[in-house]
Amino acid sequence: MTALATAAVSPLLTRLAAERATGALLRDRGTLFLEDGRIVHAESPATPGLDVLLTTGGGLAPERWREAVDRAGARRQVARFLVDSGGLAGGELEICHLAAIFDAAFFALSPGSGPSRFRRGATHWIGSVRSVPAAAVERETRRRRELLDAVWPYPQLDTSPVVPRAAAPGQTVTARQRALLAHADGLRTPADLAWVLGRPAFHTLLDVRRLAAAGLVETPLAPVRAVRAATTLPDWMTDTQSPDVALLRRLRDALEASL
Amino acid sequence: MNVETALKEATTVIDGAIGAALVDYGSGMALGTVGGGKELDLGVAAAGNTDVVRAKVRTMEMLGLKDEIEDILITLGGQYHLIRLLKGRGASGFFLYLALDRGRANLAMARHQLKRIENELEI
Repeated sequence: MTALATAAVSPLLTRLAAERATGALLRDRGTLFLEDGRIVHAESPATPGLDVLLTTGGGLAPERWREAVDRAGARRQVARFLVDSGGLAGGELEICHLAAIFDAAFFALSPGSGPSRFRRGATHWIGSVRSVPAAAVERETRRRRELLDAVWPYPQLDTSPVVPRAAAPGQTVTARQRALLAHADGLRTPADLAWVLGRPAFHTLLDVRRLAAAGLVETPLAPVRAVRAATTLPDWMTDTQSPDVALLRRLRDALEASL
Repeated sequence: MNVETALKEATTVIDGAIGAALVDYGSGMALGTVGGGKELDLGVAAAGNTDVVRAKVRTMEMLGLKDEIEDILITLGGQYHLIRLLKGRGASGFFLYLALDRGRANLAMARHQLKRIENELEI
């Protein structure tokens, strides 16, 4: 393993886990909720949430989910309400919840997800289901990154529309892959397909990479970088200037006041 | 019964059990593991056996068999590896993985007990 692969996915997360912190770790691509340093929930705008996994992907009626949020959201016990009211089996909730945590964490902890902020004491209304050690989430996130590239190292597939190709004679796909291809209309990206199918987004990325490796989905060419004529910029643009610290302070204070 | 209790039960009730895992084959991740130890890394076994399940599912598609896999048995010199695909409404895409010591295990009984544990897992 390279030094890069063993480096911490998020140094801040490692530190928060060590000090057994409770709160929400906010990053551009998702949020991790911690309790005593363990991860109890995660969500990301890049992935279908637990509600989608349970309703579209599972067998829970959407109105049962809404009822649980309405009646138990304020006291932050949505998960317990779902099970106690008989809407959902405990095992199914636990498994889908774990899948949602690792899925959202994969995107929240992705490189380039921007700076991290921690809101101490923040909790999530889903309530307690199960917790996982932060180290296990970091390890799995790393494994997933390596797995994608081991299958088919074309990251542009993850964000491009999925374009199916005709199968070669005798070539077959699994029922799961067939469902994915049936919804790939040439416009939907892997993330869009994850929402339509009610599956975790990482699983969809992996399926798309596997299908592309098998020649059943087009592999987009790397975007051609615009070649620009080298122009000389004036010194006042290229010379580094020290940032206006006073302005930055005022901005920060204003932002914090508005939160 | 939750995942951890189910796996603990699998490794304590079933004779000859070395380790058990609940695996998500969409990602190759073990959602829970019990036992294994030094002789068997269940995390690695989980990821690797995902390929076994996928290959068998694809082969069945090629053969045009309109049936479902209940379990897959792999017999080694000294161990049995049993893969049981879960069938709950929300659980398509998961399997239970059980490694057994061949000298101490009763295969028919182990399959039966694993089936019972799947039912108790409530999914």
